[in-house]
Amino acid sequence: MTNFHLRRTWMTAALLAAGLVVLYFPLAWMVSTALKPLSQAFDGQLIPAVPTLANFRAIFAPGSASPVLRWLGNSLLAAGASSLLVVTVDSLCAFALARLRFPGRRVVFYLIVASLMVPFIAVLIPLYEEFSGLNLLNTYWALILPYGANAFGVFLLYQFFLGVPRELEEAAMADGASRFQLWWKVFVPISIAPMVTLGLITFMNVYNDFLWPLVATTSQNMHTLTVGIALMAIGQYSTNYPLLMALTLCSVVPILLAFIFAQRQLVEGISTTGLTL
Amino acid sequence: MPLRPRKKGWSTQFPVKDVGAWRKRPGLATGASRAKAKGTVSAYLFVLPFLVLFGGLTAYPIGYGIYISLHHWNPIVGNSGWVGLSTYAELLFDGSSLFSQQFWQGLGHTVLFVGISVPFLVAVPLIIAYGIYRAGGKSFFRPLYFFPATLSATAVTSIWAWILQTQGGAVNQILGMHLPWLVAQPWAWISIDLVTVWWTSGFNMIILYAGLTQLPKTVFDAAAIDGAGVVSTFFSVAVPQVKPVLVFVGIISTIASFNLFAQPYLLTGGGPGFSTSPITMFIYGEGFNAMHMGTAAAMAFLMGIALAAISLGQYWFARGGGQ
Repeated sequence: MTNFHLRRTWMTAALLAAGLVVLYFPLAWMVSTALKPLSQAFDGQLIPAVPTLANFRAIFAPGSASPVLRWLGNSLLAAGASSLLVVTVDSLCAFALARLRFPGRRVVFYLIVASLMVPFIAVLIPLYEEFSGLNLLNTYWALILPYGANAFGVFLLYQFFLGVPRELEEAAMADGASRFQLWWKVFVPISIAPMVTLGLITFMNVYNDFLWPLVATTSQNMHTLTVGIALMAIGQYSTNYPLLMALTLCSVVPILLAFIFAQRQLVEGISTTGLTL
Repeated sequence: MPLRPRKKGWSTQFPVKDVGAWRKRPGLATGASRAKAKGTVSAYLFVLPFLVLFGGLTAYPIGYGIYISLHHWNPIVGNSGWVGLSTYAELLFDGSSLFSQQFWQGLGHTVLFVGISVPFLVAVPLIIAYGIYRAGGKSFFRPLYFFPATLSATAVTSIWAWILQTQGGAVNQILGMHLPWLVAQPWAWISIDLVTVWWTSGFNMIILYAGLTQLPKTVFDAAAIDGAGVVSTFFSVAVPQVKPVLVFVGIISTIASFNLFAQPYLLTGGGPGFSTSPITMFIYGEGFNAMHMGTAAAMAFLMGIALAAISLGQYWFARGGGQ
């Protein structure tokens, strides 16, 4: 009986491992193609016969048609700044909703519920016109601010703050702390884990976003990595797959590093938020 | 600081889905009314940053979008004349209008994609989650299966556009065939579907796995004692027991699939012809290429209503309306 079940377990694990081979084949092919010269791109070999870094050299060469490092910088700046903005603004708002009593709280609460239901596509055109009217297209403001109104994060932190024991709050208030100090010295330190989760999810969403930076940036220097590569792929690289795969690989590496560093936090965060929301 | 025992009269643990729980909370003990008024002002200061961002970047654009949709609107000159509700009437009812044909065609493609993607986006992650649950090794398998979900649409589509090339693409080389993956139907839809499942299954898997771990272990033990194997336990125990999480994943996948844009935009260009152009691509095309922003805003508003209805269903479900 036990042996039978053990064998079933190993068979399941073997199937899962086989699934991983299929799942990672496209990524392996990307790496392989990125290391091939154009003349061997179509040879059908997973291991390049003569691996070369020429594609990467071409991408990073001065005067290259694709300012990858600039795009990467734009993406990292937009994603980093929006994550900080979202975490700060949402934490303040969630604290007030969960722990303070004030007239209109109910209105604020239902505004946030309602805004969870607004799909981005419904505000795409007016948001573009708004930023266009303010002359803010092709600026970092356009790449950061639209991600700031994040109702999901308010909910996440609100749920967390509801569970914080009252005694912590009363002890701080008895010491004469102001509400801001209460938030900063008590609620922020104990909510580091959900704030990191929120920050990571926001970071990945912004770093990977496509539609908004596609319309909000028209100058090549202001593109994010996703938009820059997409426009290159549609344009001049469409037949030079080794170059395109090298470019794509460059865009994947930062997210891979972030993932290795934070995968546990991210997976656990999605596990809990997925079940609470 | 150690957690002390709870005070009598109220709980520190609120049911996570009870979003109305704030009503039961007593406020801070503020004695004098002056302190109370001061407290009210400071409470507003806490919510102000969010409200400013929400007002400027969600609420105002919704109103502005409706305003745009009631006008002829060109991105260069802006407002060029009031048309009232005629754009909406044209989109919905005028079969001879090109805009209306695009709207219904795009909506049809979007609904088709929801139909062909959501079943896979629920079933494939559930099978993987169940496999990991049975086989163990979650700290190995979970992150590896999840990783593709962290990639950008651009990275995913440029890789797949290359390996799905008819001539010289890796998939056709392995199959020894010349299937027109991206340039003919029904292959174009199959490719978009395949790429989406490859890309986002890991995310749903994490949620379904969490759902499985919340089940009492006894239900699986009971099945094992009855001599049920891995596969029969999947159908007799895992699927029915985890059904609420399956419905949740189904709803979030429906919303995600309804927003389909980048995969056809970058993989097939919406083609062949317009056969893989979802409603979002027509909105984008009318707004930013054809410069008919009023029409695009109206299409987007109608799509927004459809999506909000689905989200409302999700909210209702999350609050236990399905029970």
